[in-house]
Amino acid sequence: MRLLFPLAALVLFASAAAAQHQHGKPGSAPEAFTAAPAFAPDGTLWLVRPMVDRIVVTRSTDLGKTFTSPVTVTPEPMNLDWGPDARARIAVDPKGGLIVTFGTFQDKNFNGRAYFARSSDGGASFTRPRPITADTTSQRFEVAGIDPTGRVFAAWLDKRNIAKAGAAGRAYPGAALAYAWEDGDAGFGDTSIALDNTCECCRLGLAFAGAGRPAVVFRNIFPGSVRDHGVITFRDATTPGPVRRVSVDDWKIEACPHHGPAMAIAPDGSYHVAWFTDGAARKGLFYARADSADAPYSQPRALSAADRQPARPYLLANGQALHLVWKEFDGTKVAVRWQVSHDSGRQWSAARTVAETEDASDHPLLVADKQRTYLSWLTKVEGYRLIPLGDQP
Amino acid sequence: MRLSILLAALLSIVSFWAAEAADTQPFERGSWAKLREAHAGQPTVIHFWGLTCGPCLVELPHWGELQAARPDLRLVLIAADPLPQDPDRLAAMLAKAGLDKTESWSFTDRFYERLRYEIDPAWAGELPRTVMIDRNGKATVLPGVADLAQVRGWLDAQSKSH
Repeated sequence: MRLLFPLAALVLFASAAAAQHQHGKPGSAPEAFTAAPAFAPDGTLWLVRPMVDRIVVTRSTDLGKTFTSPVTVTPEPMNLDWGPDARARIAVDPKGGLIVTFGTFQDKNFNGRAYFARSSDGGASFTRPRPITADTTSQRFEVAGIDPTGRVFAAWLDKRNIAKAGAAGRAYPGAALAYAWEDGDAGFGDTSIALDNTCECCRLGLAFAGAGRPAVVFRNIFPGSVRDHGVITFRDATTPGPVRRVSVDDWKIEACPHHGPAMAIAPDGSYHVAWFTDGAARKGLFYARADSADAPYSQPRALSAADRQPARPYLLANGQALHLVWKEFDGTKVAVRWQVSHDSGRQWSAARTVAETEDASDHPLLVADKQRTYLSWLTKVEGYRLIPLGDQP
Repeated sequence: MRLSILLAALLSIVSFWAAEAADTQPFERGSWAKLREAHAGQPTVIHFWGLTCGPCLVELPHWGELQAARPDLRLVLIAADPLPQDPDRLAAMLAKAGLDKTESWSFTDRFYERLRYEIDPAWAGELPRTVMIDRNGKATVLPGVADLAQVRGWLDAQSKSH
């Protein structure tokens, strides 16, 4: 009887451990560590964060100094996507309505499901999260943006065509770039595939060339399994244009880079892209610009030395200023480096460190209100920071 | 008597668990230097893989086959997922690939920039990745899925140069 006790304790411990697994207790399953911002037209800063197995939204009316208590978007625990290039996002439409997007894992093979939730009461409550698309195969790296007329566009990497190809006895490398437009209160309309066989494990970059004209930058699979970047600009809301290659880095790899690109479109219609590569032609973090959607891209400019692990670029056009940030590592500290351009990306200020940390960190992001541009950065030691960037370096 | 058998059974369960848990060692700050020192002077193949990397999981059983076929392969496995993974799942995947007896490490520090920097400052974390280190410490990097014919050739060259 006395022996049964430790046995029972062992069984209890084992089942407790199993229960912890399912609930994403720290130390068992990985957790996302991200914070994504958006400014509302009234100057409120909205922030969305995954908290183990739920998504929460908070807001700040004093530029990130204090935040309201979080509002939970997900009524039940969910198996959230913790991939290093995935993130929950929030966008604010011109009427002040909020849309939150996030991904979950459906299984242990990283098949995902992309969800969205809406708030029309200033973030006091959110609709029950609904899938962005009806197909259940797999969606990841969802990104939503609001076009100049206030319409919500979503794009993601979708694996529905893999099964079809398999059934026909064909191989299907990568995933497909899929998209849908929000259709009033009914949620998102029909899903379309803009392009098959893109790289499957990198975030997408989204900007708008005009009303109903999204532009998406993504890591593509070019012939020979070369995973370089391409941009697709829509001719109209339902007609994706051709793939414009940003550069020939010649990164031939059958692997998972987990490094997605960033893009901004300036008021003059010029395109600006920053990306990571480890190609035969160049290695490290690079920037290039194009005068328009159809113009060729400039010669890539290296943003740092490859042995400083430069990564996670972000670009934002705010009026005439174009801001670029990325992070790099010197062996001790991770630094966010910043450059600004006032001539459509032809000349840039000298890179400057605007924030540092000595432990784990999220990707650096940029966000702008009517006055300024800010670095938005979540770090393990310092927590969330909103750091104003000058218009001049 | 029956009591001691039960006790022994209980202890064996506990020690079995402990052995399982000890299989994959936590790869932390400073682990790389320790690992290099432990294998110094001996041709060693270090294979970086990850549960989050599809091509890695396809490749892994081939390493299991190579390990079985080549007793001269001194193989070290490092799971370098950008987020620390569940040790049970890592162990299950290694066992499936026939690699449960192989020296194994797993990133346990979320500050992955630091871990990668110690290994190779220019490595941005893409997986899989294989580093072959000869007895003089000269490293040959095979990014992406390794050509195992190249690994076999390298092993042959190591035994010849001995």
